[in-house]
Amino acid sequence: MAKRKSIIKIKPRKYKVGDIVKVDFIVIHPMETGMRKDKKTGKIKPMHYINEVKFYFNDELFTTIIPWETVSTNPYFSINMKVTGPGVIKVVYKDNLGEVNEKSKKVKPKG
Amino acid sequence: MERRSFLKGIGALPALGVLGASGVTLLAKESKPKGKNAISFKKALEVITHGKGAKESDKVHLVVPEIAENGAVVPVKVNVDLPIEQVKSIHILSTKNSNARCADVFLTPRNGKAYFATRIKLGGTQEVVAVAVLKDGSAIMAKKPVKVTIGGCG
Repeated sequence: MAKRKSIIKIKPRKYKVGDIVKVDFIVIHPMETGMRKDKKTGKIKPMHYINEVKFYFNDELFTTIIPWETVSTNPYFSINMKVTGPGVIKVVYKDNLGEVNEKSKKVKPKG
Repeated sequence: MERRSFLKGIGALPALGVLGASGVTLLAKESKPKGKNAISFKKALEVITHGKGAKESDKVHLVVPEIAENGAVVPVKVNVDLPIEQVKSIHILSTKNSNARCADVFLTPRNGKAYFATRIKLGGTQEVVAVAVLKDGSAIMAKKPVKVTIGGCG
């Protein structure tokens, strides 16, 4: 399976325990609707989209997003999270063709 | 006079033909095969709220551009002005896309605030709807029209 590129960003960059931070997640993915035609071959491109994104903090599931094919190419999702201490944010995402990937980022609160 | 009216008639015929043809193509466009996940806005709302329907409320803040130059990338931001313990999920819908659902987000108290942002595709000028389902089973929503100059979906 092709490994996909993804990014997790925590905003703002400096945060303390107890703060509510923004967690941005971006994946490089075609998000094909299954309704577009390939201009060269004239065939309809098959549907290919991310259908599940799960956010874990220290292996505890805290948010599930179910996107549909109507989400833009290279999807961007942003949610809030309360920082309770140091740990790891892990994002697991699946698409409708069975591809499963994950990405993680350390959470290091200061002060 | 007769000749003139006759010529006029001749001139009108192709015009009619063109109209007929365009009518056929329009019909063909409407009946083109829909995606596997196609669902109408009404049905999607029914599924999300379990047939109860959603009330419009000013506690849901939906931020979308008034005019989207490119329908393939429309930024959507939702904020719900209620404590996170009361909000169960946020749903983003569009009224005219063949699949009305855009994203379903299930939240937990760790989120701190009921907030969600993403980018969606819109096939044409339509309304974007944000529905928040609360712990007690009721649903509140906010609606905003978006003018799309170039379609992006389908």
